[in-house]
Amino acid sequence: MKKTALALLLALAAPPALALSQKEAFDLVERFDERQRNSGDFTGLCYLEQKEKDKSDVVRELVYYRRSEGQRLLMLFTKPKAEAGKGYLRIEKNLWLYDPATGKWERRTERERIGGSDSRRGDFDEPRLTEEFDVKWEADEKLGAYGAHKLLLTAKEGVDVAYPTARIWYDSATGNMLKRQDLALSGRLMRTALYPRWKKVYSESKKGEVWYPEQIHIYDEIEKANSTTVVIKQVDLRPLTANMFTKAWLEAKSR
Amino acid sequence: MASPVGKIRILLGIAGRNLFASRARTAIIGAILLLGTALVVAGSSLVESVDRGMRSSIQGSLGGHLQVYSAASKDELALYGGMGREPLLEPIVDFARVKEALSRVPNVKRVVPMGIDQALVAGGNQLDIGLEKLRADVRFLEGGDRSAELLRRYEAHKSHLRRMISLLWDELQASRALADDQLIRDRKQANEDLARASSPAFWDGFEKDRLGSLEFLENRVAPQAMEGTTTFVRYVGTDIDAFMEAFDRAYVVEGERVPKGQRGILLGKWYAEEYLKLKSARRLDKLKDARDYQRRTIAADAELQRWVKENQSQLNEIQMQLDPLQAEEAVARLQKGLGSSEKELGKLLSELLRTSDADFDHKYRLYYEQLAPLLQLYSIRVGDTITIKAASRSGFINSVNVKVYGFVHFRGLEKSRLAGVMSLLDLMTWRDLYGYLSREQSEEMTALRAAAGTRQVSRENAEAELFGGGGGVEAVSQKAARIDEAAVLADIGGRKKSDDLFDRVYTQEERDRGVALNAAILLRDPSRLRQTQAELEKAAPGLGLKVVDWQKASGLVGQSVSLFRMVLYTAVLIIFAVALVIINNAMVMATLQRVREIGTMRAIGAQRRFVTAMLLVETAAVSLLFGAGGAGLGAFAVWLIRALGGIPAGNDQLYFFFSGPALLPTLGTTSVAISMALVLVVSLISGFYPALIAMKVSPVEAMASDD
Repeated sequence: MKKTALALLLALAAPPALALSQKEAFDLVERFDERQRNSGDFTGLCYLEQKEKDKSDVVRELVYYRRSEGQRLLMLFTKPKAEAGKGYLRIEKNLWLYDPATGKWERRTERERIGGSDSRRGDFDEPRLTEEFDVKWEADEKLGAYGAHKLLLTAKEGVDVAYPTARIWYDSATGNMLKRQDLALSGRLMRTALYPRWKKVYSESKKGEVWYPEQIHIYDEIEKANSTTVVIKQVDLRPLTANMFTKAWLEAKSR
Repeated sequence: MASPVGKIRILLGIAGRNLFASRARTAIIGAILLLGTALVVAGSSLVESVDRGMRSSIQGSLGGHLQVYSAASKDELALYGGMGREPLLEPIVDFARVKEALSRVPNVKRVVPMGIDQALVAGGNQLDIGLEKLRADVRFLEGGDRSAELLRRYEAHKSHLRRMISLLWDELQASRALADDQLIRDRKQANEDLARASSPAFWDGFEKDRLGSLEFLENRVAPQAMEGTTTFVRYVGTDIDAFMEAFDRAYVVEGERVPKGQRGILLGKWYAEEYLKLKSARRLDKLKDARDYQRRTIAADAELQRWVKENQSQLNEIQMQLDPLQAEEAVARLQKGLGSSEKELGKLLSELLRTSDADFDHKYRLYYEQLAPLLQLYSIRVGDTITIKAASRSGFINSVNVKVYGFVHFRGLEKSRLAGVMSLLDLMTWRDLYGYLSREQSEEMTALRAAAGTRQVSRENAEAELFGGGGGVEAVSQKAARIDEAAVLADIGGRKKSDDLFDRVYTQEERDRGVALNAAILLRDPSRLRQTQAELEKAAPGLGLKVVDWQKASGLVGQSVSLFRMVLYTAVLIIFAVALVIINNAMVMATLQRVREIGTMRAIGAQRRFVTAMLLVETAAVSLLFGAGGAGLGAFAVWLIRALGGIPAGNDQLYFFFSGPALLPTLGTTSVAISMALVLVVSLISGFYPALIAMKVSPVEAMASDD
């Protein structure tokens, strides 16, 4: 009885969770989006390690190119040899997949599993969360040793995204994303991504720093045995050639 | 003292008199035995025929007599598919070694390598397909090719595309009338893009920037068309030459066999009919089948009416196929065929597909004779190159281009889904799709893993492990790298397209050397199947293989026939159990009624053994007489079923089990022998208890009894 009373007293004495206002929540996400933008070109070299049920683990090397203008994105597999030359090209709202073994382009959806892994196009692209989602604060929580703001993001009407709802934990000290859960329309949890470390590089075109996650650990919540780890090894911010984000460029490279 | 023959003669005489005297009782018992025997004879003949049909279907289409696969496999082999997915089989890494070892068993005639899987046939919507053709032409033009053939093809593709866009524009304008303001506002940009693509100015300027124009059409216009259909193809990767020789039911119905040793695919004809054919044509076929063979009418059948409605509402798949000249020709042909002066193709098509019982045959002919020659009836034709895509063993998604040489059927199984859905893919292409990791590839993967330096974090401990440190996740500042593009892109380019291998001829050794998932074994003498299986099992442990017969290899299909057989035998067993009780009761009653008679016989010197024998002879006589009658009746039923054309296969599965459109049962001598023996045993068992009662009757008791 004494213990219960003490617990009740402590609970009442504890400071209440500090709710973020709508604007504060929006600003938090907007600031996070802005940090990752370069206002120019971006090249990333990364590895994708994929674990899948009943299959051998596979690792791929991938180079991805982004151009802020026109929201262009090109992802090109460079290793292993069997995968080299396969690529994804985003032009406006279209995500194209090219396979040099067949010489064909195929239109894919936002739900495309990049190279069959648990990663999606959005994991490599410039984030546009405030453009694509409505933001709402849900709670402040502890995530391991970190204090985090938990926000609920709901896709805006008519916007094509991989999942209609996301729940994101932002580090309350730095504003960096720690964890993201993607949910189906039914509310079913589809995948969880963890972002343990962030890096930043100075950009001439932006006249400021560009943030990127050093690692992303992605867990498939439907097929529990499946997971993917993305490791971004290098980032280059030099300008890219003008015609890079075209089908003709990728075809010519793979020829 | 009478001789044994004399005794039997006396017993038969008494039995005959008694049976005749108790006509009603004899008739009841006889009827039960007659029906039971007839059922056993007809039923077991049917089961034997189904067994034979299924054995023939499986052995002749895919299974052979025996199958081998890796003993380390997680699942069991299921040639016709497992529970919702293909079974997971470990690979036979060196098929050549297995073939060599198994071929040493004297009764083994042939060993055919196999690998069964499913893959996606890449497709897009009609506009995507049209744009892909045009892009291929543009590549040649940009490369400097100006041949007359290319220019002709380029112009034809362009005008076809223009017509498709114009149809799409008309369709979306019509739907705007039904759309609300919000939708119209949301679609403003899409509408402007479509208007631009439909305008003469766009096409006049096409030549100035071919690639730019193509990208505009691909990214802004094509997504507005209907979604394309993607289909799966189920195939057996095999040495096609060896397969065709081993499985004599397989034959090429259209096109030709894949040239010896080359890459290529023979698509299952049933699969083509069901999944690749124009939907309107397929529905017309189904309507014809329903009317001609199932005696259904459009007027009285809601499903048939639905098909007619669907045909009328889905005209775009036809219209999109026709270029302007073909569209004009189609109008002229339909005006003539329908006796109409209508000028709009859409309305003429709607009229053509508005079929009723009265005009169906005429319109069906009109469709196939006049319209179909202008259309591509199947989305894949003989001679086409298709792209198929599968999740490989190595974890990658592998795609290959493969040339379609023809369509394949399995004789007698033309309408069976189980057999007809299967396509035959050459072994080399199958291996490309299967993606078995070679030693070099494994080493490359190890090196990549080391370069990635990924920290493996289990799902359960992830948050504690990654976020246990505390203190905030401050981003680490560093200098931007200069990625060496030449080094990074070194492995890209110079890669051969799978098309470049189309003409390559692979030797038998090249085909045998490599991975397979299972192998069919054909025997010289199939009657020695069990013995050969035992011999192969002796050879198999060294090879790490499991040997199964055709029925076990067929998975659920084989199990369903076993189940069918079990159900029939259980039914027979129940009938005979009931017969046993009824006969027994009838005989007991009859024996009790004859207590006085038996007592009298005992009083005048008949021994107990004689009385017992008398009763048993009566029972045996009844069972033999009516059993023979029942066997005759069963034989007549079997004959009648055959004479009436057999039992029709009402669905795909039965088509497979019956090994054809109908089950034509044959009378098995074993069936007759077993049923006669069964009847005799049942009768004698049921007659034994009354005989025991009779044995206990003493003359004094019998004389004292009223009955």
